[in-house]
Order: sequence, then structure tokens, then C-alpha cells
Amino acid sequence: MNAIPCLTIEDVASLDGVLAGFLKKAEADLTVVIDRGGNVISQYGDMSVMDVTIIAALAAGSFAATRELARRIGEVEFNALYHQGNGSHIFMNSVDDDTIMITVFGGRTTVGLVRFYSASTAQGVAKLLKSLSRDGHGFSFDASDVTVAPIFADT
Amino acid sequence: MSIINYASREIQFKIVYYGPALCGKTTNLGYIHQRINPENRGDLVSLATAADRTLFFDFLPLNAVVIKGFVTKFQLYTVPGQVIYNATRQLVLRSVDGVVYVADSQWEKMEENVESFKNLEDNLAKQNISIDEIPYVVQYNKRDLENIAPVNYLEYVLNNRKKRVQSFEVISSTGQNVFASLNAVSQILLHKFSKQSDVPKNAPPPVAIPVEPSVVQKEGAAV
Repeated sequence: MNAIPCLTIEDVASLDGVLAGFLKKAEADLTVVIDRGGNVISQYGDMSVMDVTIIAALAAGSFAATRELARRIGEVEFNALYHQGNGSHIFMNSVDDDTIMITVFGGRTTVGLVRFYSASTAQGVAKLLKSLSRDGHGFSFDASDVTVAPIFADT
Repeated sequence: MSIINYASREIQFKIVYYGPALCGKTTNLGYIHQRINPENRGDLVSLATAADRTLFFDFLPLNAVVIKGFVTKFQLYTVPGQVIYNATRQLVLRSVDGVVYVADSQWEKMEENVESFKNLEDNLAKQNISIDEIPYVVQYNKRDLENIAPVNYLEYVLNNRKKRVQSFEVISSTGQNVFASLNAVSQILLHKFSKQSDVPKNAPPPVAIPVEPSVVQKEGAAV
């Protein structure tokens, strides 16, 4: 039996507090903290217009791909990436070796402001995640809680 | 790596479809996307070349309620099968929880099948994961074609480890056993994290699950 790493309600509230403060200061629309495998750890902001799961998978892929690019010029990785659109933009920065922070923003703010506040926010998130892994609590469930019926059906 | 969020009561798992080039990994995801209840899935995202060959990965998020009180999110990925894209396969395998290994049943693809399986073992080992620890199932795809190896031969070549895993005869283009193999790997994965057992109590014996006889007349059933 293996335990799944678990974010408690208190953990999520702490992360949300840091992310909410960042969104307010940077005037961005949405921020998502993901692991480098593309799993969403935490998210905050307006999630109505996009599928955060897909954004996370693609952002993790994008970050990983540019890591190879960075190596070609003698860097370990790029600490931050910026994708500029016409109205909406994405800024991604590294939080720690396992985690990335994605910020989606529009015309209300500038990339400079997002970049400025994301640096300190990433430090705050990294500190929180480090304390979580140190105090580490895993979650497992009873086999009787798992459905025995086929999970996905061919309709 | 799976992760559970107690605030949103969500659990996430990552399942990767792995196998040689043109074995039907993307076709598997395409069929699932087409046939599953749209309320339980997101968009199918394909990062492919102009010739529809997978360049980076395909991605399909699925939702289900399989553990009491939690929404379980299964994230399905494919890897690019072409030999040159090994760095990309390593990236997609990062944080993987379960694998569906898709083999091409045609005789001429046997060497590629074996190489790809070895490549899977090597790439998992780079993440300090042993193939014997990770939940996985094997698909013998393209059972509707003429020039295919018998299932017992495929079992001997690809599923001949100390611990044999569940295997399926599959026709991914028509969907035969596509959902059966997805359900099997999902169940094995869930039971890995449950308190009482590592294997589902109702797990079928480790032999290849055949396609329905009406679909393929010529091929015998399980080994």
C-alpha cells in the first residue's frame, strides 16, 4: 500500500492566501501552481474561461521543452517564460525543482508587474511546499471505498 | 506523481500510453475521447506534426467518481513513438502513475515492440521507478490485420516477466478492448493506494483478454 501526497484544507488555504495576494498586486486573472509532470497543485482566480488541467499539461511540456533549449546556451533551465498574445498572455516561472507557477493576465496589467511580484510569490510558495513535504502527510483509502464497476464506459 | 487535494476533494493520476511508432497510442485516446460521456472528459489535445505523427504528446483529461467522496481525475498522455524522440518520452513519463503498453501485433513490428518496451524500462529507471512496481497493462493491438503474431508468442516476448500483467487483444481503430484496458490499469492503480490490498480482488487471471469472436474470426482466444 502506498500513500498519495495530500494537501489538507489548511494547506490549500495557505497556498490560496499567497496566490490571492499575488493576483491582487499583479492585477492578473489566474494563477496555477503545477508540478513538472503537469499535475495541478493549486489554482486561484478566474477559471471560467479555460480548462486548467489542459493549461497545466501544456505548460509543463513547454517548460520541459525549453529546458533543453536553455542547456544549449549553457543554462540549467530558463527561470521564466513569457508567451505574448494579442489580448491575453501567459507568464511561467520556476518555483523549485519540482514545481512551476503559471500566471494568465490581460491588458489590465503589464508583464513587468507580473514578473516582479511572481518572483517573491514563487519564494513564498516554495517555502510552503517545503514545509508540507517536511511535515508530509499521505492519504490512502480503504479498498471497499473503490468502485468495483468498470470506471469508464463506452457509450 | 498522484496528488490529492482535500479542499476540492480531487485526486489526480497520470496514465501514459507507451509503445513503438504507429502502434495505435493516439488512436486509443481518440477512441476514448469520441466514445466517453462528454461530461466526463475535457478536450483531446494533440501536439502533432503536419502528417499527424505525435511530436510531443497527446493529452486527454477524464473525470470519474471512483473513490467515495472524491472526484478522480485521470490524465491520459501518449508519447511520441519514433526512436529519435526519446528525450520527449522521458519528459512525458515524468510523475507517471500507470502505463498502458501498446504493442503492434504485426510480425514485422516485433523488434520495435521489444526495443520500445526496453526503452520504457530504461526511461522509468531514470526516474528510479522499476517496471515491476508501476501499475501497467499490455495491449496487443491491430488484431484485425492479416500478418499478426499469435497471442502466446506476444505473451512470450512482451509479458514473460516473473509477475505477468493483464494483457488485452485490441483493435484500437474500432475500439475493441480499448476501454477494458483503460479500466484495468485504472483499477490496478487505485488498488495500489488502497489500504487492504495491492491487487483488485476480482482481478481476472493474467492472460490476454480476447477481442469478441464476431470481430476477429481467425484468431484464437487467450493463451
